[in-house]
Amino acid sequence: MILLTSRALKLSAFLAAVVIGLAPAAYAQQKVLRFAFRTAETGFDPQRIDDRYSVGVCENLFEGLLTYDYLARPVKLVPLVAESIPTPEEGGTRYTFRIRPGIYFAQDAAFKGQKRELTARDMEYALKRFRDYRNRSPYEWLFENKIVGLDEWAKKSRDSGKVDYDAKVAGMEVRDRYTISFKLKEPDFNFLYVLAMPNVVPVAREVIEAYGQDTMGHPVGTGPFVLKEWVRRSKIVLERNPDHRGYELETRYADTTDEWDRRAMESLRGKRLPLLDRVEIYPIEDEQPRFLAFLNKEHDIMDETPFAFIHQVVMPSGKLMPALAKQGIQVFRELQPELTYFPFNTNLTAEGRPNPVGGYTPDRIALRRALALAYDIDGEIDIVRKGQAIPAQTPVAPGVVGYDPGFHSTANNHDPAKAKALLDMFGYVDRDGDGLRDLPDGAPLTVRLKYDAGSAEKRQLAELYVKSLADVGVRMEAQGVQFADLLKDKKVSNYMMATSAWIADYPDAQNFLQLLYGPNTGQSNEAEFKLPEYDRLYEKSQAIPDSPERNAIYREMDRLMLAYAPWRLGVHRVFNHLQYPWVKGYKKHPILYTNFKYLDIDVAAQRAGTRQ
Amino acid sequence: MTAYVVRRLWQMIPTIAGVILLIFFLFNWIGGDPAQVLAGKISNPEQIANIRKQLGVDQPVWYQLWVFVQQVFTFDFGRSWSTNEEVSRILLTRVGPTLTIMIPVLIIETCLAVLFAIMVAYVRGTITDRAIMIVCTVAMSISFLVYIIVFQWLFGFILGWFPVQGWSESFWKNLFTYAPLPIMLAVFVGLAPQLRLYRSFFLDEINQDYVRTARAKGVPEKKVMLKHVLRNAMIPILTNIGISLPGVFVGSFLLEVFFSIPGLGREIITAVNRSDFPVIKAVTVYLAVLTMIINLLVDVLYKFVDPRVSFK
Repeated sequence: MILLTSRALKLSAFLAAVVIGLAPAAYAQQKVLRFAFRTAETGFDPQRIDDRYSVGVCENLFEGLLTYDYLARPVKLVPLVAESIPTPEEGGTRYTFRIRPGIYFAQDAAFKGQKRELTARDMEYALKRFRDYRNRSPYEWLFENKIVGLDEWAKKSRDSGKVDYDAKVAGMEVRDRYTISFKLKEPDFNFLYVLAMPNVVPVAREVIEAYGQDTMGHPVGTGPFVLKEWVRRSKIVLERNPDHRGYELETRYADTTDEWDRRAMESLRGKRLPLLDRVEIYPIEDEQPRFLAFLNKEHDIMDETPFAFIHQVVMPSGKLMPALAKQGIQVFRELQPELTYFPFNTNLTAEGRPNPVGGYTPDRIALRRALALAYDIDGEIDIVRKGQAIPAQTPVAPGVVGYDPGFHSTANNHDPAKAKALLDMFGYVDRDGDGLRDLPDGAPLTVRLKYDAGSAEKRQLAELYVKSLADVGVRMEAQGVQFADLLKDKKVSNYMMATSAWIADYPDAQNFLQLLYGPNTGQSNEAEFKLPEYDRLYEKSQAIPDSPERNAIYREMDRLMLAYAPWRLGVHRVFNHLQYPWVKGYKKHPILYTNFKYLDIDVAAQRAGTRQ
Repeated sequence: MTAYVVRRLWQMIPTIAGVILLIFFLFNWIGGDPAQVLAGKISNPEQIANIRKQLGVDQPVWYQLWVFVQQVFTFDFGRSWSTNEEVSRILLTRVGPTLTIMIPVLIIETCLAVLFAIMVAYVRGTITDRAIMIVCTVAMSISFLVYIIVFQWLFGFILGWFPVQGWSESFWKNLFTYAPLPIMLAVFVGLAPQLRLYRSFFLDEINQDYVRTARAKGVPEKKVMLKHVLRNAMIPILTNIGISLPGVFVGSFLLEVFFSIPGLGREIITAVNRSDFPVIKAVTVYLAVLTMIINLLVDVLYKFVDPRVSFK
């Protein structure tokens, strides 16, 4: 008996040693990608989030009807769970999708051990969730005044306090198990882009109902990865979904002359994706640890190299520093589809007093244009952005449909002489001898700029603007306010000038041009710009699909914006994304953020590299 | 003693009331509208009103205050407005990493500061004493942020002695792999002011009559310092530790951000930036109660350290 126990003990010890020894070995064989987010995530309920980091995780857990081709530039829509991209019907007001049969959600306790197939009802349910008042969806606006009957459904829910997901919405017609047809109130040729957003994805009703208030921590989708571990704001671990059907790299739209496309095709062609076994994501808010963790090979990719370290990463020519190039590190330079700008409040009053920069008379427009010309945009690019930005020429960002790289204007150049001449011409001169310009009626001219006090970058921009205006004799007062207050002030017109930025939700110029559409006042039109000619062109563009005709309308809207100057345009930032040589298949996508399903790791090279 | 403790506990009630009022009105007047942050990029007044209604910030001020008071006494602060996570869960999961860093910091820093202070006080007025005081003054003049940046770069990146940042699920891995660098840093930064302060406590005692008497009676110098001076200097030292104890439970925001430690300090700053009032409320009340309890415990401890102290 004693002998038996001793043997059993020895056997147990041996087995334990084998298990302990094998566990790290098994991990070492896994393809693990390590990656840092610049900002902490909020959660993974796709209809309740809008920050790019949480959405970037959802991109891998869920699948929408449509997505973007990985390699195509400019971006191109491709079907994901839909069988094909539908042709707009009824003048761009109806879109009908057929979901591919045989797509299953990842296993979850909510399914009680059954395989759960994706159906058209899941898509209908997800879109209703955007309008469920209890969800406080930050993307509710996408489906406002959009689908026939949905506004009424949302209003009834809110008024009665009862949300009936079984109630029919006329504009969301589930024709059979796999077919759903959307009827829109107005023609919208960008609706397909909305349906390709990574959080406009079907979810299973039983999962949402099972987890109640905790849906942020229980994402269950049909995507190539599942959430394995989540230590909020510290660590997110994704693992390959073992039941996923897999993808193949689509090379139809690849540019064979592009080295990134070529490398991705060499690494991924013919392979069943995803290839990664595990992705570890670490939210690191500060720049230095994120940068050092990458250089220390604790991470495989560094997304958006901090500007503070840019001179240690790329030379002014944009080429990688030799010390990094020697290690085989690659840099992907990306002009992001985003824009910074300073809106002027175009109302005649602001902050409860007369607003000299508001209005549409020639003297007011001249003042706004002069203030735009006086701003040292070159200083912003050199000092604040460390050379990693280009000046914006129009309100439309690069990388989106309708952006014209050939369009140039002098309206937002840094031209103090022209600014002074314009101010002199319209009577903004020093009338009381204090060295500062006054209004044509002799009253003092003071421009007030509000910025987010919590952002060092915004403070730098505000200081630069104050200095720029001082150079042309205009007094500016910069006021730092809390971010929440700034948002509110801009919505209720309680500001004269402010700092702002916009990043594309979907790749069409309309997403930017709507920021100046008159009826969007009180929502996204912070300048409260109301120009009938602009509004008419905007409405006309909405009814036309992507075409040279629509692009010509967009150009005309750009010109109106530059002429009336409701904004001082800022910059489009350039980001430098770094990867070690063992990361395969990398190509940054302008809209999709993470794309883990297209990445691969050379485990041997990774192990050798991290040992060095 | 029981009467003393009961009296002190009673005195906590007006203090908590003051904290509640202060936090409530500070947040409501200067905290920003959380609905604006939560509403997303584009929102209309109706949506803002809906969010305000769901958060309860559309209710009359007195009603919101009453809800806050109820939350304080039921210890149920609901859910985070930004992540929907239960506030109690946030506190429970974040306090562990904070304590993993801050308790070793407190222990090491106090032991080293007391040891060095008594040594420096013993050689007071000498070149060694002056040199150490100058080094302390210089060390105190440099920003904490500079230390973090330099230590992380030097010990984490250049020398590679520690990971640059990180945190794991394993307590031991955290304690022996990820925590040493932030602990070393915090001890290094905290040591100089503590050493100066404790040195002054020891010097005060060294100049007392009882020390002179002990020496005159021929008590060995080691015994004078360790038995008489150290024991009497423990009262202000205990007070100082008591003052710094609540900070142990909140952690250091800078350390937690730079070393990716999922602690309370980082959580508080995130909550403030996102106008996440339930988290701010819970942490503030928890900290206030903790401070009062620690102060009470320190006062009780005086009695054991110094028999002259009586509970009145």
